[in-house]
Amino acid sequence: MTLDSPLLSFLTVLLLLSAVGVITLRNPVHASLSFLLSLLSLAGIYLELSASFISMMQVLVYAGAILVIFMFVVVLFQDAYQQIDISKANSRAVFLIPTAAIFLVAMLAYGWEFVHLPMLHIELPTNFGSIEGLARTLYIDFFFPFEIVILIFLISLVGALYIGKKEEL
Amino acid sequence: MDLLFFASTALFAIGICGILTGRNALIFFLSIEMMLNAANLLFVLFARHWGNYTGQMWVFFVLVVAAAEAAVGLAIVINLFRSRQRVDVDQFNRLRE
Repeated sequence: MTLDSPLLSFLTVLLLLSAVGVITLRNPVHASLSFLLSLLSLAGIYLELSASFISMMQVLVYAGAILVIFMFVVVLFQDAYQQIDISKANSRAVFLIPTAAIFLVAMLAYGWEFVHLPMLHIELPTNFGSIEGLARTLYIDFFFPFEIVILIFLISLVGALYIGKKEEL
Repeated sequence: MDLLFFASTALFAIGICGILTGRNALIFFLSIEMMLNAANLLFVLFARHWGNYTGQMWVFFVLVVAAAEAAVGLAIVINLFRSRQRVDVDQFNRLRE
């Protein structure tokens, strides 16, 4: 299986750069916008991997819903960030070492696995990743997990409402 | 394909790095979302590699769980900020007011 288009390389570089931006930019609004860029480049990668419905969901759910909640919270907390900027972060650069270790171990494990991964030459159907095939799998093979996920979502919404409401005296 | 494995691992490592080195509670959430995205990327990659929909199905579930986690987590952060006027996680060191 060959996946070597220049577009894919470009999107991957964009993804990693914006991901680094999320954790290095000090201003939370800039970090959120950098996160948005990484989400959009990930959606482009999904399109290249013939997962069009997942790509659409990525844009709608992540960029449309989750990031908007983030921006609301950031706007709510504007003065708190100024306090953080004043109280100059003690740099915890020590933790870069375990991060690098995790990365190396993961890369070694991947390399070990994929030396033995058989190269398949499956003919993908032309509409692979479309909403029709995905829905067929969702409602036939994954019906019970689907119901459970609905329940989780409902419970989390009720919990968020309960946690977030002001205490009434 | 190797490039995307590298990207997924690097994305996960960047997320861990953000959690370990950061102090801002909101950046923590962004880092967690980035780690979930790294897992999603591998799922989509393998769905294409094996030619079936199971991987993409799990991406769907991960998306829903991520949305639920953001809702609950941000509600907790709002409450913490309301009681402490801080979002710096190093200062949340008491369980009780």
